[in-house]
Amino acid sequence: MIEFLHPWALAGLTCAAIPVLLHLLARREPPTVEFPAVRYLIATTQEHLHRLKLQNLLLLAVRTLLIIAIILAAAGPTVARSGLPNHAPGALALIVDNSPSSGVVLGGSPRLASLQNAARAVLARATPDDAVWLITADGIPRRGDADALRSRLDALPVSSYRLDLGSALGVAIGALSTDPRPGEVVLLSDLQASAVSPADVTVPLIVGRPDDPTVANVGIGRLETGPQPWSTDGGRITVSLVGDSVRAAPVSARLGERPARQALASGGTAVFPPITAPAGWWSATAELDPDEFRLDDRRLGAVRVAPVARVNWDSASRYVAAACEVLESNHRIVRGNEITVGRLAPRGSIVMPPADPAGIGALNRALAARGVTWSFGAPVASPAATDSGALTGRFRVRRRYALESSGSGRTGVLATVGGSPWLARSGNVLLIGSRLDPEWTDLPVSAGFMPFMDALLNRLARGEVAISEGTPGDPVALPDLVTSVRQGEREWKVEGGGLFRPHDVGIYFLVAGEDTIGAVSANLDPRESRLGRATDVQVRQLWKGARIMPVDRAGPAAFSAGVRGDLRGPLLWLALALGLTEMVLASAVRRRSP
Amino acid sequence: MPASSLSSGRVRLDLLDPVEVSKLGGIEVTTQGVVEGFLAGLHRSPRRGFSAEFAEHRMYQPGDDVRHVDWKILGRNDRLYVKQFEEETNLRAMVVCDASRSMAWTGSPGTVLPKLAYAQRLIAALSLILLRQRDATGLITFDDDIRTVLPPRVRLSHWRQLLETLGSLEAGQGTAAEPALRRVVQQLRRRGLVVFVSDLLLDRALALKALRFLRHRGHQVIVLHLMDPAEAALAGPAEARFEDPETGAAVVLRPRDWAGAYRETVRSVVAEWRLACRRHGIAYHHITTDTPYGMVLRGALSTASRAA
Repeated sequence: MIEFLHPWALAGLTCAAIPVLLHLLARREPPTVEFPAVRYLIATTQEHLHRLKLQNLLLLAVRTLLIIAIILAAAGPTVARSGLPNHAPGALALIVDNSPSSGVVLGGSPRLASLQNAARAVLARATPDDAVWLITADGIPRRGDADALRSRLDALPVSSYRLDLGSALGVAIGALSTDPRPGEVVLLSDLQASAVSPADVTVPLIVGRPDDPTVANVGIGRLETGPQPWSTDGGRITVSLVGDSVRAAPVSARLGERPARQALASGGTAVFPPITAPAGWWSATAELDPDEFRLDDRRLGAVRVAPVARVNWDSASRYVAAACEVLESNHRIVRGNEITVGRLAPRGSIVMPPADPAGIGALNRALAARGVTWSFGAPVASPAATDSGALTGRFRVRRRYALESSGSGRTGVLATVGGSPWLARSGNVLLIGSRLDPEWTDLPVSAGFMPFMDALLNRLARGEVAISEGTPGDPVALPDLVTSVRQGEREWKVEGGGLFRPHDVGIYFLVAGEDTIGAVSANLDPRESRLGRATDVQVRQLWKGARIMPVDRAGPAAFSAGVRGDLRGPLLWLALALGLTEMVLASAVRRRSP
Repeated sequence: MPASSLSSGRVRLDLLDPVEVSKLGGIEVTTQGVVEGFLAGLHRSPRRGFSAEFAEHRMYQPGDDVRHVDWKILGRNDRLYVKQFEEETNLRAMVVCDASRSMAWTGSPGTVLPKLAYAQRLIAALSLILLRQRDATGLITFDDDIRTVLPPRVRLSHWRQLLETLGSLEAGQGTAAEPALRRVVQQLRRRGLVVFVSDLLLDRALALKALRFLRHRGHQVIVLHLMDPAEAALAGPAEARFEDPETGAAVVLRPRDWAGAYRETVRSVVAEWRLACRRHGIAYHHITTDTPYGMVLRGALSTASRAA
């Protein structure tokens, strides 16, 4: 296949019309000469007309071809030398897309197997003089000799990591840039449309993709467990389907190893009736009937079941009291002394600044005496908005006290306003920088107030944090207090406030000391369920110059893109030959003119 | 310079460039000069020609037909003499002159006479010679129709009438040779001489048919094919539209590209005419209009002598 280094130069091909245009423009009306022997002229021309026409046409063709040859040479055509047994030393980055979608089983074997076979064919063409990198769904370029990479390839599983192909190309090109040899990228992928993203392709790129039709797939895209924690009265599970053809499908859901419940997901969503369970941390599992793509037929979620908080609130605080009464009527809290709202109490407390500024000093002293590492600082009158977060969302804060930490760093910050702590925890005491009153903040009159109060009383005041979701390989921000992450028997020591990358699908519990304070449910990216393939046209638009071919032909084509034959030389020789031909022909025409 | 002095002096008008000759005076004067020059070349013996009756010998002069060299004298004395014969006066001649528009053309005005002007002087000279030989001479002119018919007369004064007719001759439009040639039959009841003067830019088949007819009637036929030098060798601007003044036919070409082929075509046309005429016993002379009259007359009259 011919490609051009400077395709814009092809616009010059219009110059090929110059000989014809010159011929047409030169056809002006000549002067008339009276000549009685015109019959002799006519006889002469008729005799030689055919030969002259042929000669002129030949000259025209040679001149046109000469221009075309020069323009083509300027465009820098190159041709692949595929199939050559030997090739010049080159650098090759081999991207094997073992993302979850490569686990689609077709004809009894996963898609990944065909990609691996093609990758082996690529490695088979590698010589010791070549530099080869292998990049898989984890996005790490691994350099090695062909044998080492072949071993790694043989052991390559279907990964839970989603592979963004544009990013992977960027990594590959970056790796190649460190090597002086001609670079080339071979990408072997199912070319899932959602994974194809723009990339600045500066080296020859071979894209091997399956040429069989894609299969329609349905998977579980979302598993919602509602407000946490569940009370002992239970909670609801909602399952949403995703895929190429979302249709009604039976879905089952269960908590831990408890018996599964069945529901029909009509319209792509299945809502299960309340499921009850004893207090504790549970893993919720939703499952679909198996299809060609098994990995997205199962999805996990974390559920915390706990008795509702026993709360003591001050009826003088109008909005807090109203919210607590609503929560009580909905069985999300009961009256008791486990948590006190509005003032510092011996047990769990949610402390807000006093209405009288004169009381701040006494409150801070009491907090310090209690061992709380946070205190109220100077009042801040400039209005600001809370920074968006899972807990609070964004709402306006008119007045607040700066929260000051006497401990190390900002440990315990749960929400901020303009980057400054607004909600912080120390032990079983929560400090809010503003009073929950419309004069201080819009929160009490916003729709998010009830969920905020629910989370505040049932989770945050108990030392628990949110249950979050993530995907394998993508970083999840850890709460401040987390000291380790556990999954089954495995445990990773972590630093609170840092990042954690779930390595696979599963429930990861966040532990602070000996207490489990939260969980991260890691599931496949829902986009993996859409198996629709990007078209060749789309791929070429995003990756300029990509050579797209069936995956089984990518192996023989490897190490050829980097050593493409340059046709400029032959074309210039051709132009020279045509120029000489033109000179000879033109002079011969003149010499042998009738 | 008077033509008489020219003719009687050392200069022979019949061997001069026709244009130079035409500058010396009118047709009558110049033609007389030409004829005098021509006859002087024939040993000043206007009453001797190349007829059948032997008269005497004279020294060979350049231009004489080698067929008349007396080889016996050459063998005995190692000297070149030609035989001269007594004239006969029973020859009746008709000159048929093409006066079509193409005959009025010259490729080099001022340096080459138009074909018609050349033909006028040539016919005048020829007529004068014939009349002096006491051959009855007539004239038919034509273009796209027969214009004038002068029956053959033997009186020398008839030459004046011929001159008037020739002098008043102007080029017409087309060329219709066949009727004119057939008209000759009415004028020549007995076997005679027909001189056809034309540029032969006409319907060749018809013309040949008429000429064959004349031969069939027993006439000796001479075709004087006049051609301007510019017709023999193509020249002109880099590219031109060449248009036939008679038919309006035109062709656009670059003369430089076609000159060679055109020359070949002309050569071929001349050869075809020559061959076709020879095949039917017709004398054919290809004459470019820069040829001195004397040379043309010699060729024509040698043919005429065979017809006498």
